[in-house]
Amino acid sequence: MLDLTAGYGMFLSDEHEMLRRTVRDFAEREVAPHIRTWDRSGGEHTEGPEDRPHIRPILKRMGELGLLGICIPQKYGGAGMDYLALAVVCEELERVDSFLRVVISVHTGLNSLSLFQWGSEEQKQRYLIPQAKGELLAGYCLTEPNSGTDAVAMQATARRDGDAYILNGEKIWISLADIADTFLVIAKTDPTKGARGISAFIVERTMPGVSSYPLHGKLGMRAGNTGGLVLQDVRVPLANRLGEEGEGFKIAMAALDNGRYTVAAGATGLIQASLEASLKYAEERHSFGGPIADHQLVKRMISHMVRKLDTSRLLVYRAGWMKNQGQRNTRETTLAKWHATVSSFECADDAIQIHGAYGYSDEYPVERYLRNARGGIIYEGTRELQELLQADFALGRRINPPLRCELPAYDPTEWGG
Amino acid sequence: MHIVVCMKQVPRDNSVKLNADLSINADGIEKIINLFDEYAVEEGIAWNEKHGGKLTVLSMGNADWTEQIRRALAMGATDSLLLSDPAFTNTDTLGAARAVAAAIRKLGDVDLVITGRNSTDDESGAFAPALARHLGWPQITYVGKIQDVDPAAKSITAERNLETVVETVQSPLPAVVSVIKDINSPRYPSLLKIKRVAKIEPPVWSAADLGLSAADLAPAAALSARVPAPARPSGEMITGADAAAKVTALVNKLLENQVI
Repeated sequence: MLDLTAGYGMFLSDEHEMLRRTVRDFAEREVAPHIRTWDRSGGEHTEGPEDRPHIRPILKRMGELGLLGICIPQKYGGAGMDYLALAVVCEELERVDSFLRVVISVHTGLNSLSLFQWGSEEQKQRYLIPQAKGELLAGYCLTEPNSGTDAVAMQATARRDGDAYILNGEKIWISLADIADTFLVIAKTDPTKGARGISAFIVERTMPGVSSYPLHGKLGMRAGNTGGLVLQDVRVPLANRLGEEGEGFKIAMAALDNGRYTVAAGATGLIQASLEASLKYAEERHSFGGPIADHQLVKRMISHMVRKLDTSRLLVYRAGWMKNQGQRNTRETTLAKWHATVSSFECADDAIQIHGAYGYSDEYPVERYLRNARGGIIYEGTRELQELLQADFALGRRINPPLRCELPAYDPTEWGG
Repeated sequence: MHIVVCMKQVPRDNSVKLNADLSINADGIEKIINLFDEYAVEEGIAWNEKHGGKLTVLSMGNADWTEQIRRALAMGATDSLLLSDPAFTNTDTLGAARAVAAAIRKLGDVDLVITGRNSTDDESGAFAPALARHLGWPQITYVGKIQDVDPAAKSITAERNLETVVETVQSPLPAVVSVIKDINSPRYPSLLKIKRVAKIEPPVWSAADLGLSAADLAPAAALSARVPAPARPSGEMITGADAAAKVTALVNKLLENQVI
């Protein structure tokens, strides 16, 4: 079969290929055989804390393998690989199921890389190192029941009280809400100042006043854990404020430059999974005297999947290359995220079409791909937001002024150990 | 101590294409570590971690077959060695064992050789015994558990999983051990090590380096023909007016043939 990841030598090296094979082996051996059952388990509406038995063990395995700290320097407990390695991990995880990639998106992309970018040395020692090793799991809390794309309309507050802040509010659609040990929580320190009145905090689950609840019955991502986080008079020490007071909106948006990158890379893996399933089925299934792969309209769906796979991957790797260089990549990352997520839904849809009625049942994985792909068009920046951003960049109405702390460029010597 | 793991590289099963004469088409084949040898690599790493010293992963093949060797290094092997020479291309099990034995003798300080019970491509299962014979060392085959390796006493104790019994065998070192599936759970390559080994080029030894001539490597048996296996005859359908009649006819047939 055609090697779908060949020909990227301008971006990837032998170490990325070894990494790809390792992550693929892990996902195919330890997740693929169970994923239909795990996915079904998330469809039930149940009360109480998240206790589906597969979630914690598989997260523990991801930590043991070093996937959770893939692009964190070894001195901070990570594997010391680059930002392209982060993309390879996301591709290979989502090629099997999106819930695995979501873990990387929130734990590594949104949370750990924010600590790496903005955190004090003390915060890195206390949180980043155990997170990179997988000893602590981390989440990211921006969205609220009444605010999504319009994040500045958030209602959560953080009131200064001596050497601490008192946090109140509710966050929702939080991946790992019932599992994570720490959360990066964005809240208003000065509700009169709009985006400049927002700050970021490292909140531990064990702090009094923190509680969570699971969401069930989602269209997709059913194998994982999504929920809400309630903060009721939670006393967060001053030392747990990430960045400066009033810098939280910038931190939240910079986090999305990394989160969206992982979503884009994962969507590329989902496209590849849709294509691989379709290639196999199109040769196996016969109609009108031959395999359905002989029919031109089936070939068209396959060729469009190939186009979307390669263009998504190229956009993702360009953004990863820019991250490695230390270049600001908001425009390139959002373009990759927009294109790859929209394409992944279209490819999963075509994969179902190629599978016919079988594709409509969970006897084949493609219906799960479609359900999982739909979320990516909403979370971490809707399709519509990405469209507006691209137009504004092109029209010159949007520029990205330098940040006080940029995401560190990849340094093979420094990161290696 | 110095452990050598003999690791064959075999085609990933879904990457194999056949030539017109039913031989395997080597072009574009993706190589993987032979299933049973992966257990041997894991076993070697575990004993190396316990006793220290060297763990050399040794393989034969084309000079560019380095990916799986690097994989074994990323799992935890400390050294590597690739035997590569056009003269090795058509060796049979006996010739391969002769070449590997020569390499092990050249390494000099080897205490223990571990390998898989057979390869998943040629399936001869004769490599480990042939290697032991060439080296003149004891062999312990079909090992399901290595109870102990004692470098000081130069001895090994292992369990052989035979068809109906488990034998515990003690042998002096150096020795050759072949392992079965499920002796352990092979680990994944370590991400920390991947970075370190990705550019390693294993040392390559040729037939001349091993002092072997073409005659030493010539296959002992020659292939004379390769034809498809005869198709199995299809079964016989029992006919009858209804289920009862069919069952009666079937039972009569089974009685006739003294099956029941």
